[in-house]
Amino acid sequence: MSTTPVSSDAIRELCAICGDENTRERPKGGVYVSPSSVEEVAAVVSFANEQGLSVGPAGGSTERSTAELQTDIVLHLNQLTQVEHYDCGDLTVGVGAGTTIAQLNQLVAADKLMFAGDPPSPERCTVGGLLATASQGPLRHGYGAVRDYCIGIRFVTGSGHRAKGGGRVVKNVAGYDLMKLLIGSYGTLAVITSASFKLFPAPRQTRTYLAEFSSAAEALEFRYRIVRSPLSPMCLELVSPGARKLMRPGMVSDAWVICVRASGSDNVLARYRRELGSAITRELEGDDERHTWQAIQNFPAAPESGDAVSWRPVYPRRIHITAPIRDVGHVIEALDRAASYGYVSVACVGRVGIGHILVTGEEILPEAGHPLHAILDELKGDLKDRLSVRVAGQPNPWPIAPANLTSMRAVKQALDPNNTLRGREVF
Amino acid sequence: MHLPAVVDQLRKIAGRDAVLDRPEDLMLYEYDAGVRKCTPAVVVFPQNTNHVAQIMKLAGAAGFPVVARGAGTGLSGGAIAPEGGVVLAFARMNHILEVDAENMRAIVQPGVVNQQLSDNVAHLGLYFAPDPSSQKACTIGGNVAENSGGPHTLAYGVTVNHVTGLTVVMPSGEVEHFGGKAAESNGYDLTGFYVGSEGTIGIVTEITVRLLRRPERVATLLGIFETVDDGARTVSAITAAGITPAALEMLDGWTLRAVEAACHAGYPLDAGAVLLIELEGLAEQVEEQAEAVREVCLQQKAREVRRAKDENERALLWKGRKNAFAALGRLAPSYYSQDGVVPRTKIPAVLQFIEEVSKKYGLRIGNIFHAGDGNLHPLILFDPRDPAQLEMVQAASTEILERCVSMGGSITGEHGVGLEKRNLMPLLFTADDLDVMLSLHNVFNAGNVLNPGKLFPTTRMCRETTGPSNHPVLAAEGM
Repeated sequence: MSTTPVSSDAIRELCAICGDENTRERPKGGVYVSPSSVEEVAAVVSFANEQGLSVGPAGGSTERSTAELQTDIVLHLNQLTQVEHYDCGDLTVGVGAGTTIAQLNQLVAADKLMFAGDPPSPERCTVGGLLATASQGPLRHGYGAVRDYCIGIRFVTGSGHRAKGGGRVVKNVAGYDLMKLLIGSYGTLAVITSASFKLFPAPRQTRTYLAEFSSAAEALEFRYRIVRSPLSPMCLELVSPGARKLMRPGMVSDAWVICVRASGSDNVLARYRRELGSAITRELEGDDERHTWQAIQNFPAAPESGDAVSWRPVYPRRIHITAPIRDVGHVIEALDRAASYGYVSVACVGRVGIGHILVTGEEILPEAGHPLHAILDELKGDLKDRLSVRVAGQPNPWPIAPANLTSMRAVKQALDPNNTLRGREVF
Repeated sequence: MHLPAVVDQLRKIAGRDAVLDRPEDLMLYEYDAGVRKCTPAVVVFPQNTNHVAQIMKLAGAAGFPVVARGAGTGLSGGAIAPEGGVVLAFARMNHILEVDAENMRAIVQPGVVNQQLSDNVAHLGLYFAPDPSSQKACTIGGNVAENSGGPHTLAYGVTVNHVTGLTVVMPSGEVEHFGGKAAESNGYDLTGFYVGSEGTIGIVTEITVRLLRRPERVATLLGIFETVDDGARTVSAITAAGITPAALEMLDGWTLRAVEAACHAGYPLDAGAVLLIELEGLAEQVEEQAEAVREVCLQQKAREVRRAKDENERALLWKGRKNAFAALGRLAPSYYSQDGVVPRTKIPAVLQFIEEVSKKYGLRIGNIFHAGDGNLHPLILFDPRDPAQLEMVQAASTEILERCVSMGGSITGEHGVGLEKRNLMPLLFTADDLDVMLSLHNVFNAGNVLNPGKLFPTTRMCRETTGPSNHPVLAAEGM
């Protein structure tokens, strides 16, 4: 799997940096290391850079198995779990890249605070992985993307230098905004070692309202009504019939569902109910509500192992498409066309209030190839130019070549001139 | 290329009436709202992206520096050209190109005035959230360059949170389009990276911004306190109660008296401090929060909590806040404004320190600031005709910013680094941090034609990287 055989001298050197217990050869070539400090991360990258070895940073492997990483060195950041700062009065926190989202939420929950990142598998997904893949969940609708609440970042560049951008305060414009560059760069620019975030007061009470529609178009029209109303829900999610069947295999309904999650006092929730009107068919609270949002957050859930009818890849494919709000309907039509040829079956959820759709697909006929291709083929004409499409679980996360490759290469040249970080995978 | 030839070429590109080179005209472009000055060699008014691209190509060939300028309301010297520099003034690129209400976006040219955009989309129930105090004059291009904030950034974030696409003329003269109307862009987030880059790596000629829906209800409260300390402690107490106001501003007693004398906003003349608190959203939610905020204020020893009864009263309270800088202009020939940031729990301590600095230097310092996000604005009054005073003012402000950083804060929350704070960057960033930023600068602006001498320290850094040719910014002449 490794493109360069890693010499035994190099392995010895990596053992000297990280310790024998944190270094091991990978079965198909290459080395796995799990440094226990930022200094060790910098030493590993610096050594790799000098030796011409490629490095792939890894977190909780929620999108992709480390076994699939085709780099000479897999750099696992699971040991970087330090809390760098936390003061509940400031609503800010800084933690190591290996901290899981669940650990972070546990840290701040005691003070009735909340971290707004809710990626799939929060018990395994790490802060570093969340940032590198710009991952998100249903809270994206009401609280923004991680780029909106990440206030500082520390990292090791491709040449092994430790550096940082931003800081620890919620408002700060000193220097270039390196958070923006590293968030969603899929580990190609630097190894993120820690980050600071803005926190939010945890809602004291929430309720979820479900409205069912016989078509995506009707569901999206309802979404418009909400977006144009004075309501500002925490979450506004579309769930396709296919997605519902994946979440609950026994599901027979073919309805498109809009899920609205609101927080506030009884009085405020009553207002939501009135505004949403007769379209609401169910209301959820307590465990039912929690389970529903977990299912959406984890969509599509990884299959149980050994299940013959399960999805073939252990790591479900998640294709994130972000469109101008008005184009969401066109994207869903394209997904329908892709599915109608019988090659693929697609299912989606999405933060449709901000133009986001999360798609998964399965090839039905062996010759169909990757369902992504069938979907991309259907995103025709200038629609394609208006979209952002990202797939975390494959070597190149951007299946539509970005229009700014020249500028992206310039950034890469500045931060990782020797293409040490995931170089041969992406660039 | 000599200056007359440059002027001639610029006139060919932008038109005869679009170039200024007479000293009496250039004087108007030698300053911004800060304290630095330098007269540019030429001012040119491009009218489209193509003009800007041609000017950048000319700049590269002829070797003159280019500095973009919006309305000149910046406070960090970002729009001041170096000697021999050409100012690109965006006054004629002031069109709203598209309002797309369905997608909640607008596409604007950089010279559009911030307030003008909100006014223009008000009939659709929409507005542009970043609201610097200078919003009646400042341009969106300037907001993008500096990543400007304003009182309502507490709830809605700064400019970068409201920009989804940019057309940028690179220093080479090439035109790039980053992002678009979608909330995410394909590939690296270059849109986000360019916002706040202070005109040092490209010139923005079109901006796609997010528009927000106007809230159903707004409640504006004035919490009146006997002491600055009580007011400052209330800031964290409001947050601790789980409330995020849309805006949470503080004026100390001395400042509010000065403002009241000029604006008659209705501030109490005998208070130690006031908090201006704005809550926005669903009517039910706003009413509950207004009650909760009133209780918190009273628990924290507020003497009184008033609520604006109508839009006129609200506008009056905000008039006082937004015109405060100008009001202080009545008391001294000039003022120096800083915008250091501290974690909000450190506000009482930092205000006490500012008071000590005021006594130490014998300088009058007023405080009127974005308390909710810890973004200070100490206003130091002085007479610029006395060079000794200016030196003292700068020393005092450096002491304040050093203290902000030592408390875990920053040297700037919304004004930018520019000329003014470039040599304070090492307080926040190590040589390695700055090297990373420099290397990014240099891959885009290798010839250093764009806004030289800004953002990066002129003082020698601890560690050289790969040689002087890679550090054109360091080699640039200081002003």
